[in-house]
Amino acid sequence: MLIFRPAISRLLQWSLYLLPLLAMIAAWYFYTAADPQRQFIFSSPEKVYLALVRLISSGELFHNSCVTVMEAVIGFVIGTTCGAMFGLSLWYSRLIARIARPYITALATVPVFALAPILISWFGIGILSKIMLAFLSTVAVAIVQSYQGAMSVEPRFLRLMLVVGASRWKTFTLVVVPSSLIWVINAMKLNIGLALLGAFIGEFISAEEGLGYMIVKASGLYDMATVFCGVIALILIALALTAAIEQVEHRLLKWKSS
Amino acid sequence: MNSQSGRDGPLLSIEGLHFAFRSAGTASPSSLALIDNLQLSVFRGEIVCILGASGCGKTTLLNLIAGLLKPEAGKIEILNSRAAAVRQPIGYIFQNDALLPWRTIEGNLRLADDIGGNSSKEGTQERIAAYLKTFHLDRQILKQYPSQLSGGMRQRASIIQALMFDPDLLLLDEPFSALDYYTKLRLEGEFHQLVKGENKGAILVTHDIEEAVAMGDRLVIMDAGRLGNELSICKSDDRCQPENARGMPEFAEHYRQVWSQLKSVIEGARC
Repeated sequence: MLIFRPAISRLLQWSLYLLPLLAMIAAWYFYTAADPQRQFIFSSPEKVYLALVRLISSGELFHNSCVTVMEAVIGFVIGTTCGAMFGLSLWYSRLIARIARPYITALATVPVFALAPILISWFGIGILSKIMLAFLSTVAVAIVQSYQGAMSVEPRFLRLMLVVGASRWKTFTLVVVPSSLIWVINAMKLNIGLALLGAFIGEFISAEEGLGYMIVKASGLYDMATVFCGVIALILIALALTAAIEQVEHRLLKWKSS
Repeated sequence: MNSQSGRDGPLLSIEGLHFAFRSAGTASPSSLALIDNLQLSVFRGEIVCILGASGCGKTTLLNLIAGLLKPEAGKIEILNSRAAAVRQPIGYIFQNDALLPWRTIEGNLRLADDIGGNSSKEGTQERIAAYLKTFHLDRQILKQYPSQLSGGMRQRASIIQALMFDPDLLLLDEPFSALDYYTKLRLEGEFHQLVKGENKGAILVTHDIEEAVAMGDRLVIMDAGRLGNELSICKSDDRCQPENARGMPEFAEHYRQVWSQLKSVIEGARC
C-alpha cells in the first residue's frame, strides 16, 4: 500500500490544480446553456471544443501557433542575449552606464504598442517586424536586470579577485557573469511573456498569419469560439515556454538547488 | 626589537605606514588617521597575532597589506618587493569564506589555475590532495558545492583555496570566529602546522586572546591605528600545537599579560 502513496498524492495534487479550471468551465457551461444570445457573445465550452477540433484537423491552429512561437522565440533569444551582454558589459564602465541609463529607461518605458506601426512600416507585415517587436519588448528588461546583477556581486568575491591579482577580464568572466546569472534568468522569465506579447501585438495590428492574426480575423466575424481557441493556444505556448525557461534555470543554477 | 632579528630578512616589512579615509567629496584625507606611523615585520614560519578593540584599524591594516587600500605614506615590502609594484601572492582569509557558490569545491580550489596565478598546473591535483589531507577533508567534498558543506569545512576549503595561489604571506581576518569551539581548536592546529611546515608567514587578526596566545609567536595590541608593545611567546617543543599550548603553565601568564594590556587600551579609549 505504501508504494501507491506518492502516486495517490500526485493524483490528488493534479486534481487540486484542475479543480478551479473545471469549476470555471462548469460555470461557463451553465451560464451559456440553452441561450443562443449568450452563446453568441460568450461562446460555450462545446462550441470551443468543436472549433478546436476543426482548427487542429485543418492544421490552421498548428500553423498559426508555430508562426507566433517562432517570432516570439527568435525575438526573445536575440533580445535577451543582446540585452544581457550589453547590461553585463556596462559593469566595465560606470561612465558608459551613466550615459546609457536615460536611453535604457526610454526604451523600457515606451509602450511596444506605440512602436508597432513604425516597425511594421519599416520591416513590412511579414515576420521580421514581429521579431523586431519581440526584440524591443525584451531587450530593455534584459539590460536592466543583468546590469543590476553585475552591480550586485558580493564584495567579498570582488575582494578575493583583487587580492589574488586577477585581471578585470578574469573578474568579469569568473565572478561577475556567473554571479549575475540569477538576474539574467529572472529577465528570461519576465521576457518570455513580453516576447509573446510583442509578437502578438505585431500580428494584431497587421499580419497574414499567426495567432494574433487568427484572433483578429475571428473576432471581426464574431466567431468567439475561434477567438477562445487562439487564447487557449497562447496560454499553452506561454506555459510551455515558461517550463522550458525553468529547465534552463535548473541547469544553469544547479548550485542553488543543491 | 623582536626575537626574529637573527633570521634572514623579513617576509613582510612595514615602515611608517599612514592611512586615513578620504571624506566624501574632498581630495584631502580625513584628519583622523586609521593607521598612524605603523611599523611591523613578519618572518617566515612566524604567526603574528594582532589584537585590539573594534575599529582600531586591524582590518584596515590587512587591507593595506593586501593592496586593497592605498596608503597615504609609508612602505609595505613583501619579500623585498614593493607591494604596489610587483605583486607577490598573498593569501587573504576572511571571517566569512570567499568560496564562489556556483563552483564546486574542486572548481574553487582550481581558481588559481583559472586565473593563471599558479605556474605549476600539472601539480594541482597532487597539491589539492595534499592539502585535503593536511586539513582532514575527504575527497568526496570536491564534487560538492559550498552550500552543501558545514561552516568548518567551508573555512578549511577557503584556506586551501588561498593556499593554491602559493602565497608566502597569509593574512587572516578572524577566520575562526564563526566556528564552534572544537572545530576552531582543530582548525587552529591544522593551520599552525601548515605555517610551520611550509615555512610561511602569517598575520592573524583576532578578538580572542586565548586564540592569539595559543597560535601566535608574537602578539601585538593595536590601538587607534598604532601597534603597542609586542609580546613574544617563548617557544618550546611542547607547545608546537595550539591545543598543547593551552595546557602549558605559561599560557595563563601570557593570557593575563595580554588581557591587562588590552584592558588598559580599552579603558583608555573610553576615557
